[in-house]
Amino acid sequence: MGIIKDRKGFRVIEYLLTFLVIISLNFALPRMMPGDPFLHYSGEVDEVVAFYSREQIQYFREYYGLDRPLLEQYTTYLKELARGDLGFSYYYKDNVNSIILRRLPWTMFLVISAMALSIALGIILGSYSAWRRNKWQDNTLYTVLIVFSEIPAFLVGLALLIWLGAGLGLFPLAGAVTHFARYDSVWEKMLDILHHAALPILTLTLARTGGIYLLVRNSLGTVLTKDYMRTARAKGLKEFRIRYLHALRNALMPLFTRIAIQLGALIGGAILAENVFSYPGIGVLMRSAVVVRDYPLIQGIFLVLAIGVMAANMLADLAYKYIDPRTRPAASSNQDTIKLEVKMQKGET
Amino acid sequence: MSKLFQKTTVLLAVVVLMFAFVLGGCGTVKQEEANGPDSGQQETPAEPVVVRMEGGDWGFPQPYTRYSRGPGNARVNYIFDKLIEQDEKGFIPWLAEKWDVLEDGTKYIFHLKQGVIWHDGVPFTGNDVVFTFGYTKEYPSVGSPDVFLDDTYMLEVKALSDYQVQFTLAEADANFFEILSSVYILPQHIWAEIDRPDEFTSSEAVIGTGPFILTDYNKEHGTYRYEAFGDFWGPKPAVDVMEFIPVSDSVLALEKGDIHIADIPVDVLPRFKNDPNYTVMEKPGFWGYRLRFNMEKVPEFKTREERQAFAYAIDRQDLVDKTARGAAIAGSLGVLPPDHRWFNPDLPKYERDVEKAKTLLAQAGLVNKKLQYELLVGEGREVRIGELIKEQLSDIGIDIKVVSTDMKTRDGRIAQGNYQLVLVGLGGWARDPNYLGVRFTGGDRGSWADGTPGYFNAEVEELAESLRTEQDEDTRKELTMKLQQVLAEDVPEISLYLTTGQVVFRNDVYDGWMHVFDHHETTHNILSFLKR
Repeated sequence: MGIIKDRKGFRVIEYLLTFLVIISLNFALPRMMPGDPFLHYSGEVDEVVAFYSREQIQYFREYYGLDRPLLEQYTTYLKELARGDLGFSYYYKDNVNSIILRRLPWTMFLVISAMALSIALGIILGSYSAWRRNKWQDNTLYTVLIVFSEIPAFLVGLALLIWLGAGLGLFPLAGAVTHFARYDSVWEKMLDILHHAALPILTLTLARTGGIYLLVRNSLGTVLTKDYMRTARAKGLKEFRIRYLHALRNALMPLFTRIAIQLGALIGGAILAENVFSYPGIGVLMRSAVVVRDYPLIQGIFLVLAIGVMAANMLADLAYKYIDPRTRPAASSNQDTIKLEVKMQKGET
Repeated sequence: MSKLFQKTTVLLAVVVLMFAFVLGGCGTVKQEEANGPDSGQQETPAEPVVVRMEGGDWGFPQPYTRYSRGPGNARVNYIFDKLIEQDEKGFIPWLAEKWDVLEDGTKYIFHLKQGVIWHDGVPFTGNDVVFTFGYTKEYPSVGSPDVFLDDTYMLEVKALSDYQVQFTLAEADANFFEILSSVYILPQHIWAEIDRPDEFTSSEAVIGTGPFILTDYNKEHGTYRYEAFGDFWGPKPAVDVMEFIPVSDSVLALEKGDIHIADIPVDVLPRFKNDPNYTVMEKPGFWGYRLRFNMEKVPEFKTREERQAFAYAIDRQDLVDKTARGAAIAGSLGVLPPDHRWFNPDLPKYERDVEKAKTLLAQAGLVNKKLQYELLVGEGREVRIGELIKEQLSDIGIDIKVVSTDMKTRDGRIAQGNYQLVLVGLGGWARDPNYLGVRFTGGDRGSWADGTPGYFNAEVEELAESLRTEQDEDTRKELTMKLQQVLAEDVPEISLYLTTGQVVFRNDVYDGWMHVFDHHETTHNILSFLKR
């Protein structure tokens, strides 16, 4: 019991250390990039930019505290962070907390919906393919999904935009809501949001389903050849039980690992949809924060992402225990029994 | 089975929760009374003119919170007035209806419009003007010129009466009107108490004297909505409502009617040209690419013949055709663009001539020398321009290595003088030709950002200085013509091309669009939205 507690304590220290390293890197990396938040002599095509003189740059650096020694800036950053204050954006002229909080939900909404849909689709199609291995259904599905997963997401997005949005007029071309509209009910507003999110979600879903499908198909294919499948059949279990409880559950382990690892990359993927559909979100914001060297905003966004990834890792750690009994810690009442079980299972495998 | 079900339920719950969050967040959007074009509920005798344009977030529209890009400035310009404005030909009276120039251009008395009120009904007076210039000195805004940090430039601004304001400058400066035209007059009764202007985003922060009132702004969606101000002192607004909304593809959005005006690429132009509901308008070339020599880093660039050889070897029209799909105009070696009001058309043209370029290199004694330079460029189109220049210069034996970085890195290297050749794209080419002095004179007058390190030409210095202090417009025009002549012969930099293209609008919705003399965007000036 004491060992477990210590291990938990160690885990907490490990997470805290990781966190400290992350916030320090967040502070250091933007400042190590070449260029300066207030220094610019050029613009994007057709873009007129307000250029600053040496004196103006000096003024703004002083105003935002960038003229102070780095160590002082770092301690100020840590103090503000401890208060939950992510700072004030030089370019966006707003509190970083508020900028992120207003955009993050949109990205999360897209990403989580697309992830849920692609997981569901991937599992359904992947397992169907695995049951029908090498039959025409499997071959067709395999070809179609491979093709989809190989097309860059932004192209899929553009095609959907032109076909379903502009051509058939079924969906709006841009944005997340009907602007300046007045809704009569929450349902109407919800429908409007779903209507606007449909194409971006569809794009992201199409881009991700292929990978999940392949993983499920292969993993299930391997599981189906295992001895315990034959045992289950021999026991006369119902087909449904065999397929979903014995086969699929074991086949989903690698999928779960993959999703946990990829959580960070999901936000990156959202940039594509946000760009193509001009959807408000944190992906595009992250890109432009780097482009304009907006240090507080870069720090803020990366911090939120880092926390997100760490939380996902923790959740994955926890969730494994439910999916895979081998990683489950011993409960206090029947600790020894479970330990024994775990040992036995490990021995079996 | 039940666990799988549990997990699905949890996942679903998370999605629903996020959706609820989004709904909640969205609830902060201020919902306007339905007076859009489709609602038909507006109780005005005539159908209101509602113009929708491409949006995107350019900041809360007051001078301290807008972003440092052109559209950010335009969003402020609809609400706030300046002492002077621009039209097709030049600066025009605005809040100042006339002015007297005294003491050789060091003193100006501006006579202000009477009967002007702020959007909250308080009368506008000269005290607001005096306050604004003092406040801008204390708190430089996003776009205020650097002279506000220079105590020796503007010696005094004082109100002679409620409607007369006197400015005293240390010395005459032809740039003074450009400086005036960048300062939005703020209401003293609101701003006097504000000591963090970049955090001031309440509804009071957008009270101006301008023709439009901000009725809705959403940062994350990038939307703005403006309504005409009924008591505006000047020309009546021709547009009742302006809406800026995010757009994924401007061509599709224009076709679908989501927006009413857009820049259209040349290849899809035929889709609009033959439709009577659309009007195509040419855009002037006021945004362009410069190829700059660093003569400090590469002393042989000080040889005029080598620079001329560059000019003869680089085919500017080819760059236009291949990198801008024809939607640009080749630059002039006199630097002022062909669409500038004071452009000198009688300059050496520098048509591509490889033999002549080789002869010039021989004259410079550079024939047997290995000429190898690094050309610093940004991303995207700039890389293509760089590669074409490399190819063209290889014909005269010059070996170019194209180095691409992101914009900020490139700009940082310019500031450090850490480049040999650099390509930059920027706007503002139609401004007062004083910028020629900024680019090509040394010492304190030259700008570290725009200047040409190591370049010195006594004639350019002299002409630029006269241009800076001369008051008479005709003399200034003459000086500008002469300066272009000198520059075209000396080639201190090469103006590659200026982007043009077409803007297409729905004439059945609104057709009052115009270009002011110094800007290439029709939607950025205020006169496009007023009856004149």
